[in-house]
Amino acid sequence: MSRVSLNDFARRFAESRTAVISLMISLVFVACALFAPLMSPTNPYDLTQLQLTDALKPAGSKRMLPGEEVRANIRIEAGTASVEPALAAQTRQSITAESCGASCLSIGVQPEGTKLASLQIRNLPAGAAVEGGKKHIVQPWWTVDNPEGSKVRIVSNSPLPENFTVLAIAKSLDQETDFVFRLGTDGFGRDMLSAILYGIRISVFVGLVAAGAAMVLGTSFGLLAAWRGGVTDAVIMRAVDFMLGLPALLVGLAILAILGNGVSKVVLAIVIVQWSYYARTARSFAISELGKEYVEAARCLRLSPTRIMLRHVLPNCMPQIIVLFTLNIAAAISLESSLSFLGVGLPLTRPSLGMLIASGYEFIFSHKYWISIYPGVVLLVMIVAMNLLGDRLRDLNNPRLDR
Amino acid sequence: MNEMIFEAKDLSRSFTVGRSALRNLANRFLGERTPTVLRAVDNVSLTLREGETLGVVGESGCGKSTLARMIAGILPVSSGERHFRGEPYDSLLARKRDALKIQMVFQDPLSSLNPRLRVGEIVGEAAVLHGLVPRSRVKDYVVDILARVGLPADSISRYPHQFSGGQRQRVGIARSLAVKPDMLICDEAVAALDVSVQAQIINLLMDIKRESGLAMIFISHDLGVIRHLCDRVAVMYLGRVVELAETEQLFATPTHPYTRMLLDGMPKISLERRKFMPIQGEIPSPLNPPSGCHFHPRCPIATEHCRRTRPELREIASGHVHACLNVEAL
Ligand SMILES: Nc1ncnc2c1ncn2[C@@H]1O[C@H](COP(=O)(O)OP(=O)(O)OP(=O)(O)O)[C@@H](O)[C@H]1O
Ligand code: SF4
Ligand SMILES: [Mg+2]
Repeated sequence: MSRVSLNDFARRFAESRTAVISLMISLVFVACALFAPLMSPTNPYDLTQLQLTDALKPAGSKRMLPGEEVRANIRIEAGTASVEPALAAQTRQSITAESCGASCLSIGVQPEGTKLASLQIRNLPAGAAVEGGKKHIVQPWWTVDNPEGSKVRIVSNSPLPENFTVLAIAKSLDQETDFVFRLGTDGFGRDMLSAILYGIRISVFVGLVAAGAAMVLGTSFGLLAAWRGGVTDAVIMRAVDFMLGLPALLVGLAILAILGNGVSKVVLAIVIVQWSYYARTARSFAISELGKEYVEAARCLRLSPTRIMLRHVLPNCMPQIIVLFTLNIAAAISLESSLSFLGVGLPLTRPSLGMLIASGYEFIFSHKYWISIYPGVVLLVMIVAMNLLGDRLRDLNNPRLDR
Repeated sequence: MNEMIFEAKDLSRSFTVGRSALRNLANRFLGERTPTVLRAVDNVSLTLREGETLGVVGESGCGKSTLARMIAGILPVSSGERHFRGEPYDSLLARKRDALKIQMVFQDPLSSLNPRLRVGEIVGEAAVLHGLVPRSRVKDYVVDILARVGLPADSISRYPHQFSGGQRQRVGIARSLAVKPDMLICDEAVAALDVSVQAQIINLLMDIKRESGLAMIFISHDLGVIRHLCDRVAVMYLGRVVELAETEQLFATPTHPYTRMLLDGMPKISLERRKFMPIQGEIPSPLNPPSGCHFHPRCPIATEHCRRTRPELREIASGHVHACLNVEAL
């Protein structure tokens, strides 16, 4: 297309405000898809980051650090205490001990300010007790619930022995962090904002790749039918009629039921559903182009049929095919979402928008609306914007609507 | 006398109309009588000598374009033989570079140019692909040809829609010239243009012919143009040639009743605006042509004989043939 007609096209496109807004929204979604890893606050695919304490939190809640249990042996030798953690596990907290007099030992938790649910001391030497602690009915275990200042003291009427060992078990309370789940979390404790951004990425990727592959395949068949005519044409067009007669969702379900789920299989299913639209459009426009004199001129210049089809006919059919492509991206995205919603599309670990909506569906009656609603709204906006964009392009391409 | 460059013997071309094979079958099954085969060109024989210009005239729909396409080798024949310099078309068309010697200029200056290609590509593409000129020198080559048809060098980077009708037709002519043809078929090459522009394009074609000695088949329904340009003229009626003679002789002593009507309809004094005058009577449908002589429903001297017998072309003077049963001499 020449620069002049391209400018003209842009000007006419911009006459519709809806179209411009749709274009901008679509571009935002494409940007989301491209930059999801940079934009999203967490990586929703990293399963190790998930914790059930965060599950089903509404929008605006903070991430909790779950409480943990720390154990340490505290050895007293010649009046000085040394702490050796019983398990070398990764913990945020550590236990400290210090003497507070001849018959007193204070046991606490680092870092300062950690809220403890309980602190239990086991194997106290005879005659010693834990201040404010309850003794186990049978065992020599003393437990203090919610110890003040996260510290307990071992006290005794007589001085404590020179050498002894106790076991301290500290259980901390759940702790708030600064991280905010802006759109809440789903049933796995996944940040919905991140999940939606990655979901857009997957949906846009699947939509573009599937619609693109269907375009290449369908257009090739359409051009072949238009060029060869006769039996080839009849066979291809009957296949197209057959495909057009079947409901897209049903075909997708059947294919995925056979192949199993996964991104590449969803793409394949969409291509199988959509190639026929392109074949039909490409064929009809190619036939009308083939009837024009410039094609006869090309034949008279003894150009090869392949060259005539690809270099002369195809570029003249391209505007219509591009319009179809825009509309079919939206259709591909909604088909993928429907399939994922029905549980045959993409795997749960890499959720698309449809999958997210589906995973929130079970919670919707317990007022945990955000898991389904937010991805649903995003999907809706995306599909509506792309459809409006495609409609506008189609109108601009339709000479009958020209003023 | 010059060598023959082109010879056509008994060329015919039929089209199946109504398209759908299923419908044809149903029609046959139901015994319906809709004719589905259209004989656009019916047993036409022509010759063209090196450097000669042959005119073809006839009303709209008489099969001129169909004949032109068959001669250009871009439409298969239903029956008949075509020879270019003695070689049958089948073997000629297999050698693409030699087949380029036959070129065609089309009627519609806009639709005959690919709207998505720049003029440089339209004109230069075939010459490069067939190795007539190396890709590195194609630009100069195209500029030279554009200059020959009177277009400025900067046309090369423009698109067809940026030109006027006459300029577009110049581009179409340049496209043909770029592959160095020996025979040029102009199918109503000026019909879509304004009168003043028509004259320019006709002068251009005459100049080209004078410079390069091209043989030309010039198709038109404009008798004045034909008379001006052509050495010999063939008159077509409903797919058949009804009269063929040297231009001077045809215009001076037309013998076939149809030709006479055509010439009577032509203004005698001014040769400026020279379209057909409407001839009384409907033009019959080529789908269902009249029996015998196709012209009999409109012919003033038709007899019962004409209704039944198909007149064959016969020579009534040296180099002057016609297909009429009742007119015997000049
Ligand atoms: N591809 C086709 N399929 C069916 N019928 C055709 C086809 N091409 C031409 N015809 C028919 O053949 C007849 C002759 O057509 P043709 O185009 O050769 O006429 P023409 O003399 O060039 O007319 P015009 O002066 O209008 O260009 C017409 O009746 C036309 O309808
Ligand atoms: S053959 Fe008969 S009908 Fe035909 S042109 Fe001659 S006189 Fe007329
Ligand atoms: Mg024509």
